[in-house]
Amino acid sequence: MMKTIDKSGATRRGFLKGSAGGLAALGAGVNLFNINHAWSADAVYDGGVFDAGGATLNVAEWGGFWEEIVRKEMLDAFEKDFNCKIVYESSFPWFPKFVAGGPEKPPFAIANWNYGEMFKTAAAGDFFTPVDEVVENVPNAKNIWPFATATGVGITWSYTRYCYAYRTDLVDPPIKSFKDFWDEKYAGKRGTYVTSNGLQMDFFIAACALFGKDQYDLDAGYEAMKAAMPMKISDFTGNMQTLLERGEVAVAVQHDAEVYQMMDRGIKVAPYIWDEVKPILTQTKTVSKYLEPVQKKLAYALLNLTLDTKLQSVMCDKFYQRPVNKNVVVTPNLSSKGVSNTEDSTAGYWTPDWKSYNENEADIVETVNGIFAG
Amino acid sequence: MRRRGVSISEAFGGFRLWWLVLPAFLFFLAFFVVPVLSLLAISFNKTVPGVVTLTDAFTLDNFVRIFTRPLYYEAILRSIGLGVVVAAVALVLGYPLAFLIAKTEHPGRNTALMILVLASMQLDMVIRMYGLMVLMGDTGLINSALIGLHLIDEPLPLMYNAFGVVVGLVQVTLPFMVLSLVGIIRAIHPSLEEAARSLGASRGEAFRRVVLPLSMPGILAGSLLVFALSISSYVVPALMGGWKVVVLPIHIYQQIAEAGRWQFGAAVAAILFLTSLVAVFVYHRAAVLTSGGRT
Amino acid sequence: MRDEPAVSWPMRAVAILALVILLLPVVIVVLAGLNAGEYLTFPPKGLSLRWVIAFLSSPTFMGAYLYSFVLALVATLISTVLGTLAAVYLSRSRSRAAAILRGFFMLPVVLPGVVLGLALYVFYVTTDIGLARSFPGLLIGHVLVTFPFVIATVTASMVGFDLSLEEAARSLGASPLTAFMKITLRLIAPGISAGAIFAFIVSFGQFETTLFLTVPNHEPLPMAMYISLRYKFEPTAAAAGIFAIALVALSTVVSARLVSLRRVFRA
Repeated sequence: MMKTIDKSGATRRGFLKGSAGGLAALGAGVNLFNINHAWSADAVYDGGVFDAGGATLNVAEWGGFWEEIVRKEMLDAFEKDFNCKIVYESSFPWFPKFVAGGPEKPPFAIANWNYGEMFKTAAAGDFFTPVDEVVENVPNAKNIWPFATATGVGITWSYTRYCYAYRTDLVDPPIKSFKDFWDEKYAGKRGTYVTSNGLQMDFFIAACALFGKDQYDLDAGYEAMKAAMPMKISDFTGNMQTLLERGEVAVAVQHDAEVYQMMDRGIKVAPYIWDEVKPILTQTKTVSKYLEPVQKKLAYALLNLTLDTKLQSVMCDKFYQRPVNKNVVVTPNLSSKGVSNTEDSTAGYWTPDWKSYNENEADIVETVNGIFAG
Repeated sequence: MRRRGVSISEAFGGFRLWWLVLPAFLFFLAFFVVPVLSLLAISFNKTVPGVVTLTDAFTLDNFVRIFTRPLYYEAILRSIGLGVVVAAVALVLGYPLAFLIAKTEHPGRNTALMILVLASMQLDMVIRMYGLMVLMGDTGLINSALIGLHLIDEPLPLMYNAFGVVVGLVQVTLPFMVLSLVGIIRAIHPSLEEAARSLGASRGEAFRRVVLPLSMPGILAGSLLVFALSISSYVVPALMGGWKVVVLPIHIYQQIAEAGRWQFGAAVAAILFLTSLVAVFVYHRAAVLTSGGRT
Repeated sequence: MRDEPAVSWPMRAVAILALVILLLPVVIVVLAGLNAGEYLTFPPKGLSLRWVIAFLSSPTFMGAYLYSFVLALVATLISTVLGTLAAVYLSRSRSRAAAILRGFFMLPVVLPGVVLGLALYVFYVTTDIGLARSFPGLLIGHVLVTFPFVIATVTASMVGFDLSLEEAARSLGASPLTAFMKITLRLIAPGISAGAIFAFIVSFGQFETTLFLTVPNHEPLPMAMYISLRYKFEPTAAAAGIFAIALVALSTVVSARLVSLRRVFRA
C-alpha cells in the first residue's frame, strides 16, 4: 500500500481521478475501485494537532440538543485547532444518502450510526474504512473495550442498554423479565416502535431468540408480535417519552439512558434492563473509505477526540451515555443508577446477527407491518 | 368575437404569448420531469437493495408484487378511501367556514378570520401532533372529560387509528379547502340569491339551487387539492395512525429510505402518482360536465 | 328578509366547529410553549416566557427560524414571478397545450413530497451538478412545491378578467407595456398577493420535500423541530411554533394593508 505525505494528496487525487475518468472513457475496463483505493488509503494520523488548511469535513450526527452539546464540547475547538470547517448534517437517515452517490462519492467523511442502518449500508457497498485500519490511526482506540471494535465496520464510542421503561405507579409488581411485557394487563398499554426504528429491530430479534429456538426463528418473533397486540406503535423515543409521561402506555421498549433521564426529571418510571439477552444501543462511527487524504486524516482526528476521556465524560453526564474508554469514570448521574465502567460490567453483550436481519428485512418489515396494522 | 390572447402579443410587438410560460416550463422540465421520471423509471428494474442505477433489464416484478400482496394493494385502496373521506369531511366543514368568511364584509373581522385559518397551517406537524395527543389520547382532554362525566368507562380510541389520521388530515387540509372556496363564493353576486328569494324560493332552496351550483368550480378544485394532499401525505398517517393505517407514502418511505429498495419504492410511487393523475382526470371531466361543456 | 344575518345559523355553527378543529391544537401548543414548567406538559404548570427566551437564545432554533424565513422569502419571490408569468399565459391561451400545461404544473402537489425530495436528491448526486445538499438545491425543491399555488390563485384571479380594459388603456395612448403594468397587473394584484402568501406558508412549513434536501449546518425550522422532538420533547419547539404562527399572522396583516385583503381571495 502506498503511503505519501498528505500535502500532495489533493493534486494526486485530481490527477488520478482525471486519468481514471479518461481510462473509463476509453473503455479500458480498468477497475476504478482499485485505482481510487490507492489514493484514499494515504492518510496516516498520529494523534497530534495539524493544520488542515481550511479543508471541510462532512459529518453526520444527531441534531437538536445533541448537536448543540457536541459542537460546544468538541467541534468548535476542533475547527479552530485543526483549521478546518465542519459541515454537520443531522437530517437522518444516512443510508439513502450513501447509496445515492455510491462508495466513491460519500456524502460524509465520518458518520454516527446505530447498528442496523450501519450494517445495511456496509452491505450495500464498499463505503467504509476497515476498522483495523481506523484503529491504527486513532491512538485513543488503544484504550477502549474490545466490544467497541468487534463489528469490523465502525467504532462504537458510547452506548446504552436496551430495556423496558415502565411507570412505577401503573405497574405492580415491577417488571422482572423480558416476557412480562406480554402480560394480559398491559394490552393496549404497552409500546414499541415502527419497524424502521433500531429499538424495534432489537426487540424483535430478542423476541425471536427468547420465544423461539434462536435469533433466526422469525416465526417465533412474528407470533410474539401478534401476541403483544394491541400495543401502541411510536416512531421515535421522543414520542414514546410523551406517551409514558401521559400514561398512554405503562410499559415500553426503551434504552436505559432515556429512562434515567426521565427518572431524574421526577417522572415515575423505572427500567427493567434486559438480562436474558443483552443487546446494546450503540453510537458507532464509521470513517468513509474514499476520501481526500486530508479529510480522512481529519476524520481520524475527530474520532480520536470522540474516544477521549473528556468527551466521553461529557456525553455520560449530559446524555447518560456509557463510555467505551476504559479510563473514564462514570459520572454521578449514571453511577447513582448502578452503572459502572469495568471489565465485568461490559461483559456478555450480545450483538444480533445484523447481516441475517438485513437479508430478511423486506419480509420482516412486511409481516410486522401487517401485524401492527391489525 | 375577438380572439383571446391577441392583446398581449400585440402589446409586446412580436412577443409570443407562450414566451411567458417558457421559464416555468423549462424549470419544470429540468427539475421535475427529468428527476421524477428517472426515479420512476427504475421501478421497471429488479429490486436490489442499495442500488440506485438504472439498467436496461426490464421487468414488471415490482408491480406484480404490489398487486399480488394484500399489504400493498390494500394500501392503494386505503389511500384512495382516505383521500375521499378527508375531501368529503373537509368540504362539509370547510364550505360553511368559507361561506362565513366570504360574507364577512367588515375588513378587520375578515382579516382576523383569514389569519385564524392561515395560522393553523403554520403549525409544525410533529408539534401539532403533540397538541392532538393532548386532546385525543387515551388520557387526553376529550376522554378525561367524557370519563369524568361518566359518559364512558373506557377511553375512546380517538387516535393511533384511521379516525386519528382523518382528523389529522382534515386539520392539515381544511385551510386549502377554505381558501379554494372563499374566492368563488364571494364572486357569486348576492343579487342572484335575492332574485331566487323574490321568486318565492326559501332560503334553503335559494342556497341549494343558486349558490351551491355556482360554487361548484371551487368545490371541485378544493376537493381535488385536498384529495391529492391527503393521499400523498407521509407525516400525518405516520404520526397519527399508530402504524395501523399503512398508506402508500409510508410504504414508499420505508422501502426507499429505510430498506434501500429503490426500485420497489419507485414502483409504489408510480402507482400513487397514477392514482392522482386519474383523480385529476376525473376532476377535469366533472368540471367540464358541471360547467355545461365550458372549461 | 333584509334583517336576517347573511349566514344562517346552521352554517355559522359548522363554520365555528371548523374553526375550533383548526385552532384547538394551536391553542394547546401555544399554551405549552408558554409553560413555566421544566418539560413539555399540558395543562401548563403556570405561564412564563422562559421557553420563548430559550427559543430566542437557542442557536439551533433561532438559526433555523431565520434560515426558513430567508428560504421561504426567496422561494416565494421566484415562484411568484415564474407562476404569475405562466398564469398569464395559461389563462389567455386557448390552445390545447395550455390546458395540458395547467394540469402539468399541478403535479408537484400530487406527488408525495418525500418522493420529490428523493428524486431531486438522486438527480443532484448522479449528475454531480453541485446542487446536492446546497441552498440552491433546496430552493429548487421549494419553488417546485410552492409554484402550483401561485399558478392556481393567479389563474383564478384572471378568470373573467376583461381584456377590453387593457385595450381601452392602449386606445387612450398608453404604451403596451404600460397598459399591462398599470391595468392588468394592478387588477390581478390580489391574486398574486394571495399566491405569494400561500407560497410563503407552504415553503416555511415544508417538511416532506425538505427531508432529503437539507443543507448541512442549516436545518429549516420544521426539520430542526422534527429532529429535536424525535429525541426530546422540549417546550422550546412549542415556543418556536408560536413564532412561526406569529410570522404568518404578521405577513397576512401586512399584505392586507398592501392589498385590501377582502379582494385577495376574490376570484
